[in-house]
Formats: sequence, structure tokens, C-alpha cells
Amino acid sequence: MRRWRGAAPLFAVVAASSLVLTACGDDGGGEGDKGKTGGTFVEGINEPDNLTPGFTTSSYSSTVINALFDPLTELTPQGKVKMLDAQSVESTDQQNWTVKLRKGSKFSNGDPVTAESYVDAWNNAAYGPNGAAANYYFANIDGYDALNPEEGKPKEKTLSGLKVVDKQTFTVKLTGKFSDYPLTLATPFAFAPLPKEALDNPKAFKENPVGNGPFQMDGKWEHNQQIKVKKTKGYTGTRKPKVDGVTFRVYTSDDTQYNDVLGGGLDIGTVPANKVKAAKQQVGDRLQTIPAGTMDYLGFPLFEKKYQSADLRKAISMAIDREGIVKAVYDNGFKPMKSLTPPIVPGYQADACGEFCEYDPAKAKALLKKAGGFEGDLTLWFSNADPTYEKWMRIVAQNLKDNLGINAKFKKVPDSDYLTTLNEAKQNGPYRNNWVMDYPSAENYLASMWGVGNRMGWKGKTHDKFNKLIDEAKAAGTDSEREAKYNEAQQIAIDEMPMAPLWNWQNFTIASEKLGEVPIDSYAYDGNGVRIEDVTVK
Amino acid sequence: MWRYTVRRILQMIPVLIGTTFIIYAMVFALPGDPIQALAGSKPLPQSVINALHERYNLDDPLVVQYAKYMANAFQGDFGETFYGQSVTSALESRWPVTLKLALVAWVFELVAGVTLGVWAGLRRGKFTDRVILGGTTLIIAVPTFVVAYSAQLLLGVKWDIFPVAGTQEGWVSYILPGIVLGSFSLAFVARLVRTSIAENLRADYMRTARAKGLPKHRVVVRHLLRNSLIPVVTYLGVDLGSLMSGALVVEAVFNMPGIGQGIFQAVQTKQGTLVVGVTTILVLIYLFANLIVDLLYGVLDPRIRYE
Amino acid sequence: MSNTQSGTAAATATTGGTVAGRSASLAGDAWRELRRKPSFIAGLLLLLLVGSMAAFPSLWTSREANEQCNARMAKTGPESLNPFSGSEHPFGFDVSGCDYWAQMVHGARAPIVIGITVTLVALLLSVLLGSLSGYYGGWLDMLISRITDIAFGLPFILGALVVLTAFPEHDIWAIVLVLSAMMWTTMTRLMRGQVIAAKDQDYVHAAKMLGASDLRVIFRHILPNAIAPVFIYATLNIALAISAASVLDFLGVGLDYPSLSWGVQLADAQAEFLEHPYLMVYPAIFLSLTLLSFLMLGDAVRDAFDPKLR
Repeated sequence: MRRWRGAAPLFAVVAASSLVLTACGDDGGGEGDKGKTGGTFVEGINEPDNLTPGFTTSSYSSTVINALFDPLTELTPQGKVKMLDAQSVESTDQQNWTVKLRKGSKFSNGDPVTAESYVDAWNNAAYGPNGAAANYYFANIDGYDALNPEEGKPKEKTLSGLKVVDKQTFTVKLTGKFSDYPLTLATPFAFAPLPKEALDNPKAFKENPVGNGPFQMDGKWEHNQQIKVKKTKGYTGTRKPKVDGVTFRVYTSDDTQYNDVLGGGLDIGTVPANKVKAAKQQVGDRLQTIPAGTMDYLGFPLFEKKYQSADLRKAISMAIDREGIVKAVYDNGFKPMKSLTPPIVPGYQADACGEFCEYDPAKAKALLKKAGGFEGDLTLWFSNADPTYEKWMRIVAQNLKDNLGINAKFKKVPDSDYLTTLNEAKQNGPYRNNWVMDYPSAENYLASMWGVGNRMGWKGKTHDKFNKLIDEAKAAGTDSEREAKYNEAQQIAIDEMPMAPLWNWQNFTIASEKLGEVPIDSYAYDGNGVRIEDVTVK
Repeated sequence: MWRYTVRRILQMIPVLIGTTFIIYAMVFALPGDPIQALAGSKPLPQSVINALHERYNLDDPLVVQYAKYMANAFQGDFGETFYGQSVTSALESRWPVTLKLALVAWVFELVAGVTLGVWAGLRRGKFTDRVILGGTTLIIAVPTFVVAYSAQLLLGVKWDIFPVAGTQEGWVSYILPGIVLGSFSLAFVARLVRTSIAENLRADYMRTARAKGLPKHRVVVRHLLRNSLIPVVTYLGVDLGSLMSGALVVEAVFNMPGIGQGIFQAVQTKQGTLVVGVTTILVLIYLFANLIVDLLYGVLDPRIRYE
Repeated sequence: MSNTQSGTAAATATTGGTVAGRSASLAGDAWRELRRKPSFIAGLLLLLLVGSMAAFPSLWTSREANEQCNARMAKTGPESLNPFSGSEHPFGFDVSGCDYWAQMVHGARAPIVIGITVTLVALLLSVLLGSLSGYYGGWLDMLISRITDIAFGLPFILGALVVLTAFPEHDIWAIVLVLSAMMWTTMTRLMRGQVIAAKDQDYVHAAKMLGASDLRVIFRHILPNAIAPVFIYATLNIALAISAASVLDFLGVGLDYPSLSWGVQLADAQAEFLEHPYLMVYPAIFLSLTLLSFLMLGDAVRDAFDPKLR
């Protein structure tokens, strides 16, 4: 029942209703002309795996870490970068970056935040033997390979690309040009600073983390029950909280969260997609919808003989009733996609895939014939992480049978084995694939899923032209130039269709009557998309 | 009696080793790398995987892993989860939840089950008996999770009589889930008592007691009940253990952070240490419950003597 | 259920009544009594109904399983609550847009096959192990009893969960295998107890003295007299196995496409219960009625064979 979203879902500004709320929360509330302060509220999460930045990638950990820590930058509700714990993050060549810290930033134990707080924390997470879950977030810093050899102990303990200049300044050298780098630094669960005690006594720190954010722990982490945080005294940053404290209550299913909000036991919770219609009728405006960055794809095993023809892959894509699936399984909560990147990423092209992502049984049949038909059974691969995967795969199977006459079977792989299966290319049929956004850039999707060193795109081979376009885009100076290059690369990935886009996730957050303003905006690193520092209690 | 008890305890050892080893081997045989599951849908560098494998002895052969685990377990150290939390502390917060839940269910099935059973048994063949018999059959026939969802939605959400989910409101939170969990066994207890009462009603000692002119309530309580409840004791004793392992479904529906949920998540993320830790304790509870029941049997039924 | 062990006198019945004399008359008595019981007749009729769905789905629906589905119709309820209203989709559509009535009919086979097969396998195992262990005693008994203890001590759901998570393909046979592995223990213990009680009877000693082989003693003399309580338990076990299979479905480790079962339909319906109660109500009724029919049959048979309760 545990749903992993990998990194925190980031949210866009698209939904009109939430925009209004956001505006109230951000502009009006700051001066205190309407938002009351004080009080506490309860937000639903799943049990986090780890609360030390660098050692987790789960969105539930992110929710708590986001309350406890301020990373260098943050993303505004419009998805733009804003300095948070940094005064500036600058570069002249997009490869060598200089970070200057904000003056007066402190941890809640009183220690000042210094350049070492960042550099030591990053080195610690990037050092392979420490087994940090967010290790790969540091892979674009120069010297990463020396800390993470394929086998044996690394020779180096620190990243050669990180240099402390003075107490307030450090420099980062990347392995290549990357103009969106400040954007990525907003990820709190990877890039937040750590006080010295975190490195001296990591075991104790994990149970009782100390951060530089608007909230601090209020008692220990009560496993599987709740995590309480309270307002940090003497916090000098820009995210000054309006409530006195937040309790993150642990749930194991979103269904229960929803029921508990209705029953009055919970103030902010997630609504499962299939409950959205009912929730809207029941609670009206207290349900807010925001598009997420998560994309689902159907991948094809290009290393299997049967799936060599691009026409066959396109025929399968056209035989799948995305609209129907989204209606049946997600009550129209998710949006069918004809593009490899979601709408909230700059440069989004709504119709990049065209007719090949449109449901057309007749054309699909014709295309299959052109591709030479399909012999034998087809096996669909997916993981048991969420029950809805099986539900939509069932409709895919029924579509394939009704529209193309192909008999499908299932391989439901344990979640713990799924990525290993894909990495080792054991899947011999179409498989579920998915990408959760790390930061709002097309590069995050294209390079991670189809690019160099990718796990699943063109398994085993890389596409030179595609990779070249990605590199050019990363070095590009202007937004329009960058987006054009990314879209050119996307077109290659669509023409060859190693993966067909399916749909884009949405997040649904419900708030109780007890709360006043619940600003839910684009890019908060809270699992529910809430800017918890701006929430008010009636 | 002593020799019997000691022999029984000695017999438990192979059973305990057998069950834990089977579970350990099964979790071990689960495909996949538990470490990869830690990172969710994101890639994990080989260096990190190597480091964590070493930390959790994942590259040892099965028997060595098991032996290392058990050696520590007997010193009270059940190891660490892959999140770096010690299994003991991971379970610490979960046991009370499941224990309370099972206890509520158990008391419910005991009180309601025996009452219904005695009532039906004394009125065997009459209308009351038929209603109780039919009702219990129905309870067994409707799947627990259907009962659980219906109860949650009707009594929790719609009519707001009980808390919807969670354990925040103390014992009150346990009433509804406890009743749902206990209802299945309640049906068995009621039927068991009913049969037993009906059988004993015709026993010679009952005829004697009545012939002696004892008052009716005394006959029922002193003679009938005492003799009829012996098989029920067996059932109830063993059932406390199975309630705990069977709480999974109810815990899932009512969001109770008990061991059932813990196990479910642990299996999904291949947390071998956690699964085996729970199993070990569940098996121990089961074995000791059995032993106590058997010893109690001797106390209740003087005809039985243990050598 | 230890009470079913009571009374070895009840154990003198055989299934077909092939043994002449006393036992045949008990079976005959039992049959006569059964025919008079309304619950037995009702259970039998229900079972025939469900059994015909499982064996010949085409009698009940013209659609094949998982065909002619339209995802856009998913979760559309029936037009009328009256299933005989003559609507083309009397039960509406299921979660993936297939005709619910057809899916329901095709969903009968899996539970019934699972319940019966699991029980047969468990019965076979328990008769074999129970009689070996009870008859020979000694180290063989010790070994079998400890193995039974181990299997009995394993928390049932936990074991099934682990094994099924490991199998990526969940067809009927995977479920049968797992449930059989978990469900043979009670009957084995029952069988062993019966055999131990029967082997000291005079007629067994007599047969041995006449030079009968062990096999002959077990099969001709002990088993016919010891097996009745095990059979009676087996009818209950069918219901338990079907119920257990539905719990596995609920937990998401049960049957997979293209198999259909009421348990899977219930599992699909759980998230929709509030908005589309019919999704859960229909399979719940079918499943419960099936379990009910097995339970009623089991009850009736037990009462009929237990002379103490006459």
C-alpha cells in the first residue's frame, strides 16, 4: 500500500481555483492584514523512510524535511527560482557556480549555517559507502565518480568540484554545462545543509533532526504514528510560519486519509483519484486539484525481436484507450498525454505525439498489419506498488484483445524487484514505466529516461543525435533556444517510440473546515503541495 | 505435570527454528534487491548498492544469514530495518496496537459467543436456536473485509458513532475494528458452545444432578457450563494468537499501525529482518498459548492427567 | 473444531456405504435424515446453481470473459435494481467497463475450483500422513507431527503473502498450491487422532491376527472407520479455502488477469464502495451465498452423522 513517488511531486500553477487561493495566501497574508496566526493542524503522510537530507528520496520524507529545512533556493508558485538560504547562486559559464549564503541563517540548535554545513553534507551523501538514497543527485558535480566506483572502496572522500571559499561562500564545479542548476538546488531532501551533529552522530540525528527551516521537531519521531513540529524560535528566513505547529500523522492508505478528513480526525489529506468525484460533491472547494509532474509511460523492450518494428509499437499505442482508462481507473483525475513531458514543464508541446497517441482501433489494426502482425502471447509487466497499475493494465489487455486480437498475460513483479528487472532487461513485453519530476525542466525527463546512461529508453544503446541535442539544450543561453532543442530531441523519441506516453498525474488535496487559508501551489516540496508556512487556522 | 511441561517446551524448539527458517528462506527467496526498493523509482548508483549490501549481510549465503540473525535474536537484537531503524523499536509501537485490537476482539467473541452459544444450546431446535445458527453461518459466509468496509462507512462515516480510523482516541478507536475482527471467531465460538451444551444436556451426570433436585440455575452453571466450556477454552486460547496474525485486513481498513500492516509493508519492501522478527514472536505466542491451553485442560477436566 | 473429533462411534460410516451391515445403515439413516432437512436441500440447490455457472458459463451469458469491454462505460451502474428487467446489462458494468453480469458468471469458476481442489489435495495429504503417523507411531509419528506443528504454527496469511509476492504469475494453480500447503494441517491432526483411536479396537487386532498386511489393515479396517469426521471437516474446509482465496485477492496477491473471481471483483470494488456500492454488493452476495451453501451442507451432514445429537 505504500506508494513511492520517488522525489516530491511538484505542482503547477495551472488550476484556476488554486491560483486564487495562492494569491490570497502569498500576497495578502504576509502583511498580516487577514491571515490570523497561531493554532496547529494535522497533515496526513505515509511513514517516511529517513528524515536526514541526502538519505531519502521519498515524498513523505520530503514533506517533513520541507518543514524542517531551508535549502539554498526555492521555487515560487510560478515555478521560478528564488533565493532562500542563499544570497546568490551565480555562474558565468553555466558550469562553475558560486554560492553565497544568506547572513544570519541558523540551525534550530543555535549553530550558524556556514559553507561547511553544505559542503560537508553534500560530500557525506555523495560518498558511496554511506549508502545515501539521494546519492545520484550529486552525480553532476565534478569528482563524483571517484567517490562512487563500480567496485571496491573509493579513493577519495570528498567531491573535487566542491570548494569552500570562506564562511559564507563556496563554489561548485559541474561535470558539464547546466543552466538550470539553481533550479535543482531547491530540492530540500537532497541539498539541505546539515549541522555538525548530524555527521558526528547520524543515528541520533535521524530520530531527532535539526534543521535551518521554519519549523523544528517537537519531541521525537514517533514511528508509524506521527511527527510533531513547532515554530522555530528566532527563525530569520523568509518562510515565517503562521501556525504554531504541525502534526504529520502517519497513514498507510489514501482512502483512510480521505475518510478521516470527512470524520474530522485530519486537516490536510490526499484524496485518491478515484474518490475525487465524490469528494467534490461532499466538500466542494475544500478539495483542490493540481497537475503533478509525474508521467506514466508504456515502454517496449527494444532488445526483444518481437518489438523491433516501430510500426508495431505505434499500433499498440494507438490501440490503447487512454481516455477510457483515465475515466475508468482515475475518474478523469489524470490527463491523457500526447507528449513526453508534462504541461507544467517549460516548453510543453501538447500534440507532440499526434495521431500515434490517439485511440484509433481501425488505424491501429492497419498499422499492425503493415508491421507484419504479432505472433504468440504478449506479456505485460508492472509492479505491485499500487493497485491501480493492475487496473489499468487490465484495460490495456482488454484493448489489445478486442482491437488487435492479441492475447495478453500479466507479470506482476514485486515492487522491490521491479527496477532491477528493468535494469537487467528481463522484461520481455510492454512494461509500465514512470518518471517523477525532480525539477521542472524537460532535461529531467528526456535525459533521465532516453538519454546517456539511461536505464530504459533505448536499452543498451544510446542515440547520438538525441544526446547531442540534449547537450546543446543544456548549454543554451536563452529559454526559447533551450526549449526548441528539447522539443527537437523529443520528436526523435516519439518517431522511434521506445516508450509511449500515457497520462499525467494530478494531485488532489482535501482540507478540513477548521483551516482558513490552504495555499496549494505549484512547486512546494510538501507531499500535498501545501505551503505549510502559509496555512492558517480559523 | 512438570515433566510434561518441560517436554512440551523442548518440543517447541524445533518448531520455532523450523517456522522462522521457512519464513526467512521465503523472504530471502523473494526476487529483487531490497536496497533498490529503498530508492523508489529513482536509480541507485552501484557504489551505494554495494555499501548497503555489505551493511546488511545481503551477500552471505542463506544459512549464514539466518544463523547470524538468530544468534543476535537470542540476545534480544532482532537487527535493523533497511531504513536503519532497529526492528525492536520498529515493532515497539506496533505491538500494543495489535495486542489491544486482538484483546477487544477476543473479549467480544468470548462474551458474545458464549452467551449466544449457551442460549442457543439450551433452546436447541427452537426458534432462537435457528436464528442464532443462521446468523452465525451468515457471519462466517460474508468476507471480513466486506464487513469491515460496511461497518466503517455506516457506523464511522455516515452515522458517526465510532471513529472512522486510526488509534488516536484510545480504547474507543478499538471497539469497531475489534468487533469486526472478532465476529468471525464469534460465530465459531457460539456454534462450539451450542453443540457442546446440547451434547452435555443429555449426559448422565446432568440427569443425576436434576434427579437430586438441584435448582435449575445451579445445574446449568455448576455442571453444564463447566463441562461444556472445555472445548471452548481450547479454541479461545489458540484463537488469541490467530487473531493477532489475522488482524492484517482489519488494520488495513481502519488504518491501525499494528504488526499486520508492518508485515504487509515489510513483505512488499523485502524487509526480511522485520518479517522474521514478527514471525518469531507470533509463533512463540502461538506455542505458549497452546501449552497453557493444554495445561488448563487438565485443571478443568480432572479425567485428564499429564505424565 | 476439535469437537468434531468426538465420538469415534460416528466414524463407522463410509461414503458410498460399501461396507455391509451396521455402517451402511448409519449412512442410510443419515441420508434419510438429510433429505428431510430444508437447509440441506437449500444448500444443495444453491450449490447446483453456482456450480452450473462455474462449469457451463455459456448457459448463463453469451459473452466471453473479458471481451466486448468499453472502458468508457466503466462503473456505470445497472439501469434498474431488478435484475430481471430485461436490460442488456442487468448488473451494469465493472471497473474496466465489461458487462458485470457476464464477469460475475465467469467469476464463479475460480473460487469453486480453488475450494474443491485445495480441499481434495489437503484431504489426500492428511489421510496419507495422518494414517501413517497414527498407525506406525514412533519416530515417523514424531517427524510428521513436528512438521505438522511447524506448518500449523506459521501464521497463515503471512506465509501466503510472502510466497505469492514472490510468484509473479498468479493463476488458479499458484493459489491452489499455496492454500493447500497451508490447509492440510488440521485435517492431518484429526486423521491421526482418529487412527490412534481406531487401531486399538478389537476388530483391528483380529484382522492383524488373521495375518492381514499393514496396508490392508489401514485401508480395509481402520480408514473406513476413522475417516468420517475428516470428511465432515472437509466440507467446512471448502468454504474456508474459498474465503481465504478472497482474502488473498483483497490483499492484492490473489488471482491476476485473465482469471476472474468474485474476490478480485470485491478487491476492485473496495475503493469504489462509497460511490458505486453495487460493485461490491453483487460479488459479495454471490460469494456469501456460495460459502453459505457449503456451510449449510457441512452442518447438515455433520448433524446427520453425529448420533449423539439425534
